[in-house]
Amino acid sequence: MSKAQKIALGVLLIVAVALPWLVSSYTLQILIQTITFSMLGLAFASTLKVGLPRFDIAAWWAVGAYTTALLMKKTDMSFWLTLPIGAVTAVLVGWLIFMIAIPRGMMVFLLFGMVTAMAIQQLFGSVDFFGGWGGPGLVPRPTIFSHRFVSKPELYYLGLVFLILNIIVNYRFFNSKIGRAWNAIGSSLRLADSIGVDVVRYRMANVLIGNFFLALAGSYFAAYSPTVMPATFSFGSSIYVMMYVIVGGLFHSLAGPIIGALVITFIPEYLRMAREYEPIITSAAIIVMIIFMPMGILGLIDGRVKRLLSRMGHVGAEGSPKRAAI
Amino acid sequence: MALLELDGVIRDFGRLRAVSQLDLSVEEGQIRSLIGPNGAGKTTVFNLITGTLPVSGGTIRFNGKDITGLQPHRIAEKGIARSFQQTFLFMQATVLENILTGFHMECRAGAIHEFLNTKKAKKTDEAARSRAMEIIGFMGLTQVMHERAGNLPHGYQRALGVSIALACNPKLLLLDEPVTGMNPTETTEMVDRIKKIRQRGITIIIVEHDMRVVMDISDRITVLNYGQKIAEGLPTEIRTNPKVVEAYLGREDN
Repeated sequence: MSKAQKIALGVLLIVAVALPWLVSSYTLQILIQTITFSMLGLAFASTLKVGLPRFDIAAWWAVGAYTTALLMKKTDMSFWLTLPIGAVTAVLVGWLIFMIAIPRGMMVFLLFGMVTAMAIQQLFGSVDFFGGWGGPGLVPRPTIFSHRFVSKPELYYLGLVFLILNIIVNYRFFNSKIGRAWNAIGSSLRLADSIGVDVVRYRMANVLIGNFFLALAGSYFAAYSPTVMPATFSFGSSIYVMMYVIVGGLFHSLAGPIIGALVITFIPEYLRMAREYEPIITSAAIIVMIIFMPMGILGLIDGRVKRLLSRMGHVGAEGSPKRAAI
Repeated sequence: MALLELDGVIRDFGRLRAVSQLDLSVEEGQIRSLIGPNGAGKTTVFNLITGTLPVSGGTIRFNGKDITGLQPHRIAEKGIARSFQQTFLFMQATVLENILTGFHMECRAGAIHEFLNTKKAKKTDEAARSRAMEIIGFMGLTQVMHERAGNLPHGYQRALGVSIALACNPKLLLLDEPVTGMNPTETTEMVDRIKKIRQRGITIIIVEHDMRVVMDISDRITVLNYGQKIAEGLPTEIRTNPKVVEAYLGREDN
């Protein structure tokens, strides 16, 4: 990381921490949503690196949310204990499914993902144990040393910690040899094979790390939502997650999903006065963005910043700015 | 003992027999060329050796061990690397990053070390980097090492393909048309480098259409036609073999 990047990150962190004092309680509520959606986007973007589009996001998100909601409600378990239980469940169940899907390639993975997402929603909706389509009812708020997280800023900070943890872990993976192997798989399967990358194993690791954080995002969702309901974890929400990543910028596996989630979550909120037309306007806005910014919002900034830097002579040998379009 | 032995290898695509009862034995330290008209099954043989395609029959032995049916990454681990006919590169990555990726099997510190970027991981990464620099120098890629692979001219891309294979530290290197599309200067340089790679003790099998190159660098040549071996021998023998001339030019009396 360069010095400028470190400073920019520091500023961003300060802004993120200061936000509860700067925005209205309503906006903060949307930001809390955005944190969840960002984590979902991070999982999608990370798995896209190994050339797999995942449409099972909502499934593992739901596993985390239901684990936390049911355990807290039915057994009075501490929120913090439900976190690892939800995450481990998502990883283990995921592992069983992916063991069949991943060796069979991208198309099978994609189909398994869709089916899993739909099946898990049905399961939570139709089995009484999970509370049916109305959900299991009011979930208690998490506590820490007998202090209950009830205010919006508290819940926001709780999410911020999760999100930052997710970013750090993904960043470490992306910048290690493991990340290099992931990139290799994503850019050329056959070449990756020929240099000895065990494609199935590396894809599996990537997807399971995603499952871990998806479940975490689910537990967090259960912590701030009044209740969890199957309708939230629809197949459509998995599609939305893909849009965050595309709108944010496909080549930015960390910042892209977060920017995309912010933009796409906030557009509908500012269209409340035109409620009936909101989905149409939102869709149109997304299409326009994709046409004029094929590399996403960050792709646009990318070009600008790099042109500016190169004019100022700041780009070193490694900063050749052009990326081939896909 | 031969380093690589194919024994009665068969490959069918539906009803088409692409490789038929092929016996091939490559001695350690040799440069072996595999030639033949288009569609003779040369690239298929490479795909069978590297496990990209499963064989329909026969066995492949490498270094005395049966490698038939192993997955491609396992075969790579045994010491067989290849460059591709189409330019497969990590196009978005720089030349240096491409070669570093090639060190996937070597210079490993273990997943935990790599994730936490411990001293051990940094050390192995340093080692990979210095060896990558050595390959970059050897393959003449120094001026372009920070360029994106996708932006390179064709000649450099071919050289990069071979460099990635070299980073796997192979015992056997399979080169699929290494000089195709190169200008004469680039070709001469590539031929020189292939000879130098052999001097490092790496056995090489080449598929190539440029006959001057083939005659210049091969120790032995194997000729395929319609998936069958029709001749094998020294370059001088192959040049005058009537069967080979017929396969390439067609029979005179039809």
